[in-house]
Amino acid sequence: MEGVSYQRFPRIKIREVKDDYMKFELRDTDASIANALRRVMIAEVPTIAIDLVEIEVNSSVLNDEFISHRLGLIPLTSERAMSMRFSRDCDACDGDGQCEYCSVEFYLRVKCLSDQTLDVTSKDLLSSDHTVVPVDYSDASSGFDNSTNKGIIIVKLRRGQELRLRAIARKGIAKDHAKWSPAATVTFMYEPDIYINEDMMETLTLEEKRELVDSSPTKVFGIDPENKVIVVDAEAYTYDDEVLKKCEAMGKPGLIEIHAKEDSFIFTVETTGAVKASQLVLNAIEVLKQKLDAVRLSDDTVEADDQFGELGAHMRGG
Amino acid sequence: MEDQNEGKNKAMSRPHLLQEKDYSALKELFSHHIESFDHMVDNGLETMLLSIKPVEVLDSFFKLKLRIWFGKPEIFPPQKERTSKTMHDALYPFECRQAKLSYTGKFLVDICFQYGDGAVIREKFNFGQFPIMLKSKLCHLRAADDSKKLTAHKEEPSEMGGYFILKGLERVIRLLILPKRNYPMSMVRNSFRDRREGYSDKAVVIRCVREDQSAVSVKLYYLNNGSARLGFWIQGREYLLPVGIILKALVDTTDHEIYVNLTCCYNEEYDRVKGSVGTQLVGERAKIILDEVQALSLFTRAQCLQHIGEHFQPVMTGMQNCSYNTVADAVLRDYIFVHLDNNHDKFNLLIFMLQKLFSLIDQTSVLDNPDSLQNQEVLLPGHLITIYLKEKLQDWLLRLQRLLQEETDGEKKKFELSSLADVKKTIEKNAPKQMSLAIENMLKTGRLVTQSGLDLQQRAGMTVQAERLNFLRFLSHFRAVHRGASFAGLRTTSVRKLLPESWGFLCPVHTPDGEPCGLLNHMTASCRITSYYDSKGNIKDFFKIRESILRVLTTIGMIPSAPKLVKGGPPEELSVLLDGRIVGSMRSDKIEEAVTYLRRLKVSAISIPVDLEVGYIPLSMSGAYPGLYLFTSPSRFVRPVRNISAPAEEGNDLELIGPFEQVYMEISCPDGGDGGRKNVFPATHREIHPTNILSVVGNLTPWSDHNQSPRNMYQCQMGKQTMGFSSQALNCRADQKLYHLQTPQTPIVRTKAYEKYCVDDYPLGTNAIVAVLAYSGYDMEDAMVLNKSSVDRGLCHGHIYQTETIDLTEQSAKSDRAQRVFRRSYLDKSSHQLIDSDGLPYVGQRINPHEPYCTIYNEITSQTTNMKLKGSEPVVVDYVAVDVKNKTHLQKANIRFRRSRNPVIGDKFSSRHGQKGVCSQLWPDIDMPFSGVTGMRPDLIINPHAFPSRMTIAMLLESIAAKGGALHGKFVDATPFSNTMKDAESESSSLVDELGSMLTASGFNYHGVEVLYSGVYGTELTCEIFIGPVYYQRLRHMVSDKFQVRSTGTVDQVTRQPIKGRKRGGGIRFGEMERDSLLAHGAAYLLHDRLHTSSDHHIADVCSECGSILTASLIQPPKQKMQEEVRKISGLPPAREPKKVTCLACRTSKGMETVAMPYVFKYLAAELAAMNIKMTLKLSNGAGA
Repeated sequence: MEGVSYQRFPRIKIREVKDDYMKFELRDTDASIANALRRVMIAEVPTIAIDLVEIEVNSSVLNDEFISHRLGLIPLTSERAMSMRFSRDCDACDGDGQCEYCSVEFYLRVKCLSDQTLDVTSKDLLSSDHTVVPVDYSDASSGFDNSTNKGIIIVKLRRGQELRLRAIARKGIAKDHAKWSPAATVTFMYEPDIYINEDMMETLTLEEKRELVDSSPTKVFGIDPENKVIVVDAEAYTYDDEVLKKCEAMGKPGLIEIHAKEDSFIFTVETTGAVKASQLVLNAIEVLKQKLDAVRLSDDTVEADDQFGELGAHMRGG
Repeated sequence: MEDQNEGKNKAMSRPHLLQEKDYSALKELFSHHIESFDHMVDNGLETMLLSIKPVEVLDSFFKLKLRIWFGKPEIFPPQKERTSKTMHDALYPFECRQAKLSYTGKFLVDICFQYGDGAVIREKFNFGQFPIMLKSKLCHLRAADDSKKLTAHKEEPSEMGGYFILKGLERVIRLLILPKRNYPMSMVRNSFRDRREGYSDKAVVIRCVREDQSAVSVKLYYLNNGSARLGFWIQGREYLLPVGIILKALVDTTDHEIYVNLTCCYNEEYDRVKGSVGTQLVGERAKIILDEVQALSLFTRAQCLQHIGEHFQPVMTGMQNCSYNTVADAVLRDYIFVHLDNNHDKFNLLIFMLQKLFSLIDQTSVLDNPDSLQNQEVLLPGHLITIYLKEKLQDWLLRLQRLLQEETDGEKKKFELSSLADVKKTIEKNAPKQMSLAIENMLKTGRLVTQSGLDLQQRAGMTVQAERLNFLRFLSHFRAVHRGASFAGLRTTSVRKLLPESWGFLCPVHTPDGEPCGLLNHMTASCRITSYYDSKGNIKDFFKIRESILRVLTTIGMIPSAPKLVKGGPPEELSVLLDGRIVGSMRSDKIEEAVTYLRRLKVSAISIPVDLEVGYIPLSMSGAYPGLYLFTSPSRFVRPVRNISAPAEEGNDLELIGPFEQVYMEISCPDGGDGGRKNVFPATHREIHPTNILSVVGNLTPWSDHNQSPRNMYQCQMGKQTMGFSSQALNCRADQKLYHLQTPQTPIVRTKAYEKYCVDDYPLGTNAIVAVLAYSGYDMEDAMVLNKSSVDRGLCHGHIYQTETIDLTEQSAKSDRAQRVFRRSYLDKSSHQLIDSDGLPYVGQRINPHEPYCTIYNEITSQTTNMKLKGSEPVVVDYVAVDVKNKTHLQKANIRFRRSRNPVIGDKFSSRHGQKGVCSQLWPDIDMPFSGVTGMRPDLIINPHAFPSRMTIAMLLESIAAKGGALHGKFVDATPFSNTMKDAESESSSLVDELGSMLTASGFNYHGVEVLYSGVYGTELTCEIFIGPVYYQRLRHMVSDKFQVRSTGTVDQVTRQPIKGRKRGGGIRFGEMERDSLLAHGAAYLLHDRLHTSSDHHIADVCSECGSILTASLIQPPKQKMQEEVRKISGLPPAREPKKVTCLACRTSKGMETVAMPYVFKYLAAELAAMNIKMTLKLSNGAGA
């Protein structure tokens, strides 16, 4: 066993990239790496989110905690987050988390003076740092009318009500609180490998073929002009086995065989807008690397033995 | 058709966006409370006051007679107390809640005076502050009929009223079940035998109700010798009279007439035929009855009256000087069949009751079940107040008479009866304001302080607090019907049974578990209670109504009853009773036709009220006693069904039926096929919808027809314990405790009732994505795993609002007369952070446990005291309200705290299907299983074992339906039994097909399962997982309110054992059963630790000479000052003296030993010694010796 290397060289092939959406293939690796990447993207890529709110005036209908909670959940542009300091490690401010290296200050001063209900939105948050601002969804090339899109509503005010506060945003990771999660959804699936037994397929009538194709809730199969069953979209397959069950019910087991490729994954990443989707993947790989470095470092030190005893040896692979 | 459907769909999909909400359905649920109070104000009080007997005071010296009686009442809307008399400001309910006042209005009553035969003098007197029901005619909110105006008065936009506000608390009068009024019921009770020698256990009982709602029950007992006795209560004692006397006293009649009348129910021709109730024994019994009277040598009516008058004069108050005849008249009028005012009617009714009694004895008819809804009605709030007030006023008037009499007869000649001013002074002395106070106290405590008992079964628990824990609970208080507190203690369970008679009136699902099960029922959503008001809001004139009914009856073949007219009996002819009066008889072959005719008139509401109860009991072989019983009275249950016997135009075929008639009607239910009636008994009526048997709360459970029935019962309970949006006017409320859900949602899957009753205004849950799988091991035994990130994002976040009311006037009145005000201490600067200069906290300030939240300054002792926060969690000051009635010194303040209650481990949640669970872990998002396709992670994981034994199929359906609904952006209708209401053609697809195709249309699995991947390993889970949104409720039981820990702490003074009670930091009892289990395990050391070392470990000094543990006494060693000084100087702590003890009994310290024992043991020895029992211990070293 000595000297045998199991090292693999995973490859990534990007299929589609948008600001907040990305689809890519990850090949030549196994589920542990794929899942680690997913987990890091969801929970450990740092972003910036409002963490401390000092309320000066709040005469709105919502209570202070509720407003603070809502403020915390507003995604802030966090390109700076990777280079920023965690306020707990910040030596510039002795850990009180109010210095420029580890925090960004926001102000919100709104008062409703008209008879119309005033929507206080994330656009009313004034940032002390132009790189960290509430995510702007209005420029998305969607069909929404830009003039009406005013950002995320925090609270609605009626005449005479006022909201005045100071908020401090800090760097953090979603392991601590979900508001720091840059990812809306990250998911991956095994790439399916679909095999159609053409000979057996020929024995089916067109009616039966249609039934077979329709048995899958997602559009995986189709019928081509020559009335042959073909795979339209293999990745639409959700491993629900519906088609296989149908085959069995028709008395033709083995008509279609589907296997998951153990080493290929198709990732779908959606972000909250705090970080660009492409950046999120890169950041995630960076974080993953740092974590691996941390393991390797502790691998070298004997301190691990003191810390973990026999377990430390196991961790080193001994 | 297409267009209509689309419009419907739009409304269905976005009902929360409807501009104007329709609260009329909601308001109708509360109407019986309000209407009964309205009637009391409009008419009921006046009738009651006029029915109170006048009193007379006689001045024998001047030969002056003064008659006093009550006139008209007048109640004013609530007004504020003001210093200036001209200014009158309306007092609003909101102000009462905040200032802890009572919502009351001024109550004036005319008192009429008449000297001799002179002119009548009317004078208004103030009878105090009368509690006003919210939204009644006297309430200021009645005028504010739309939600905008209501919110301007700081009320809920949907405020329904129906309750009272007393000292800031909202209380409802409980609806109580009473025996049906004016209907003679045959009963069997063993207690009847104990009345006197010779009594049987059978009787016919009738609860007679006067026009002013006061009731008098009369019992007709059967004697074993064949005779009968009429029993009635006067002043807490039952009087029993032979019926013969009463029969003769009522009308001028002969023995022969009585005999003929009694035996009319027997005809030899029809002996033992279907429907015949009489036997030949009736004649013999009639003879016995008549002989009895003769034996007393009473022959004529005058003699009988004389006899009665003679015997009852001592007990009839205020009739000491009247002739025997008038006394007898009064007895007959006030105690026997008080619902009738004509002696002939009374006579006929008594004959009827005798016949019913005899038929019960002869077993030609069965007894009536007093537990069945058929023979019940309900006690309405207005009626309760009226009859209670009547008794209070009666007492007051008699007291006044006594006072006046004493004054006139008194030696001091200051008082002149002829001077009205003197009389008025006496009236004021008699404290008329106490009358309203009595009502207020009754409402406040729910206790009736009464001598007579008002013919009610219970004296306590008449009112309950209308808790606003959530909307469903609040609403249920007004729909609840209680069987009576006296049944709660009963060991028999027959009263709790769900009887078929209550079908459609009382909800079979909505009754609590455990102690009040079956006693506390809830009315179904469609059930109403008849009131005094017709559909146009006019007061019903019962006299006219009865007249017109009589007219209709005579046209359809009823022979009206007339004096001296002997009618035939069953099975030939049936008696017709209208509100307990025999109005005639009808031929039994014609009667069926007559009943259908009556019903048709009822539906079209021509000359017959819509809520007339046509109780036709047909002839049967020894079934219920036959007859046609008509009821127009208020406080009966009614519900609508469709009348399909006559083809009427659509929408105009709704008939209101009561539980009495329902039993003998053929009503088909769409869910029940033909109900086994085949073609023999064709259905004449049809249920509107099968859900009409469910209460409002029961109607909210989606697809409850797919659940195991107990689960629906559990949901009815849990729905009422849910944390939800308790109130829209949250910022204007000062309730002691309010639960509030921060982020509620409207359910995707909902029933029709949900929109009908506007539950969206008070949502109580969240659509959580629920995965059913055994994932972490933390979901065993009804535990559930919550997604931590979901909780971070606001899932089930909540608050508790708690109001602290500080009234300084109240406190100072108790202890000393010191003037105390809210003021901050100038010296103690430490609290300035928390408390403002006015002594009250800053709004929005966070306060930690044991920190002060307000400061009170005593102006005499010039001391300041801080009110400190109790409990173990920090709070935020939400709101501070002050009472500025006292302008110079602030005396009253409400401080509302807000405790945030976000989900933690140990909090309780439940779905809408009786599936409750405790959060056992807040699991990180990344560790939750995820779907490969959508990337969804569940909010909540429950264990699949929750389903097989509980069979809550509707929860699975809800999950599938909500998933489909969410995918299509639609709400899904989940009204139970709706498949039976569909037309036959559209019935082709089953419910599951409908839901499944919704899923497949969006590319999901038909059965609602999905392939999930392990969040920890990234591998596919071996099974497909059932996942979808389910509406979850957060229950109010939270660990933060319940956990109990203790290491060391306070101990009991006497036993030195740890105290109990969570509030005081006590321990949890380690009881007998716990002890047994440790013994069984042989864990002796642990047992010793728990019961001794950690409890009341004590080292006692025992004298081995005499064996006593009580005689040990400490010897004070002579102080060795010198030595101590030395030690002090050298800085060492004072040396502990070797303890010297001596036995006081033996006068020696020779045999003193120390023994470890529980301290209670020593206490036991002391207690025994107090009883002259000496306990001695024999000491030895080591075991076995």
